[in-house]
Amino acid sequence: MYEEILEDIAHNSALRETNTAVKLATGTGAILLCLLSPGFLAPLFVAVTLVLALVFLARVDIHTLLHVYTAPALFALFSILAIVLVSGGGECFWRWQPFPWFALSLSRDGINQGTLVLARFAGGTTALAFIALTTPMTDLFAVMKRARIPDEVTDLAMIIYRTIFVIMAHVVQVYRAQVMRLGYSTFRESVRSFATLCGAVFIASWEAGEDLVRAMEARCYDGKFAVLGRDRPPAPLSVAAVTLFFLTTGALAVTTAEITLL
Amino acid sequence: MHIMEGFLPLPWAVFWWVVALPCLAFGIYQLKRILSADREALPLLGVTGGFIFILSSLKLPSVTGSCSHPTGTGLSAVCFGPFVTSVICAIVLLFQSLFLAHGGLSTLGANIISMGVIGPVAGWAVYRVLRDTRVHVYLTIFSACAIADLVTYVVTSLELALAYPAEVGGVASSFVLFLGIFAITQVPLAIVEGIVLALVFKYIVTLKPEILVRLRVFPEEKIRAAAGDAQ
Repeated sequence: MYEEILEDIAHNSALRETNTAVKLATGTGAILLCLLSPGFLAPLFVAVTLVLALVFLARVDIHTLLHVYTAPALFALFSILAIVLVSGGGECFWRWQPFPWFALSLSRDGINQGTLVLARFAGGTTALAFIALTTPMTDLFAVMKRARIPDEVTDLAMIIYRTIFVIMAHVVQVYRAQVMRLGYSTFRESVRSFATLCGAVFIASWEAGEDLVRAMEARCYDGKFAVLGRDRPPAPLSVAAVTLFFLTTGALAVTTAEITLL
Repeated sequence: MHIMEGFLPLPWAVFWWVVALPCLAFGIYQLKRILSADREALPLLGVTGGFIFILSSLKLPSVTGSCSHPTGTGLSAVCFGPFVTSVICAIVLLFQSLFLAHGGLSTLGANIISMGVIGPVAGWAVYRVLRDTRVHVYLTIFSACAIADLVTYVVTSLELALAYPAEVGGVASSFVLFLGIFAITQVPLAIVEGIVLALVFKYIVTLKPEILVRLRVFPEEKIRAAAGDAQ
């Protein structure tokens, strides 16, 4: 339940030592290309290529990768269903109009629109997973500093990052103790146990914050955190591979712009 | 409720980023003001962000069987105010997309507006209206958290409806459909989140009421009275 955080996988990824800027450019560039593509084949190509890169280059377990898609899947299912039903146009296979201002239909353009959104979702989520599963957050803090994001925001982000792991250890302990005592056996019990868990976490967070204030004061904290960025220069081979990936996706987006599912 | 990566067409993704940036700039200004006045506030704000992240990654007991997570932004807005909540929420949303693959980078602007700005402001407004009335503190917390959650879901539906207007009836018709579809999971979720966070509040009132007194969430006598009721 709580151990599914992707940060641990990123630390053990085979692409961990690859230059951060190259990995970020790959992920964000792929997201942008998915959104710019008018056809569904280019985003699908992005999804397939990045899944292969994650499995064979980053050595990410395929089950972990599938798990990444389960959380957004429900949202995707409901949203794409709605997009298909409201987007009309072209040949109509089914139509229901209960009010003059409201109609649901299953049409050629609606299905094509739904396919495009599904492909963009698959490509975009895989690109996001590529960043998440190969780049630990600590590497991103150095990028945030270089990008001149205000120090207060970077410092706050670093404390949030640190606190997550402190609190998570506490949550896992309390949750396991609750499960052992059948705290989640019925819906009513679950609500009560969950509220107790959250309350305990809130108090633990507050106490962790007070401890942190004392620890930082004791170490002469002057309002600024130091960030030690350790980044490797980009390897020519990885830059060439990413460039080739972008060019192929871009070419595919242009040449397959008119291709639709129906 | 996050809009996932790839769901918003590029013009709408850019539009929501442009709307979110001034809100974030104002939140960062408020954050700088708080930190220049009280340096000790930084670790406390940091742990608040950690708390929201952990809270939003926990699975809420669900009546519909769906995988539902609380937003926690209502409780944060009540305790720390809506503007600081927006900055914390932006960082938490970025972490959620990079730690858990929930949400996205192109949709971050839209998610900041719904979950980090309008939802918390709505929850905070309800809390401010009820705070000095005779309404019980737990009912106030329930209402603020449930409304923050419901408004987040309404705004998310509107963001999707604007991006995908219906062939018949346009944005309004599409908005009704998105509201109806997400209501299946989001309305029970908002009610359960309201109940859970009211119980969380009761737990804090019972064990550590001094935190709530220091944050000036309610007048001290109201918190003492609630602590008396809880025991």
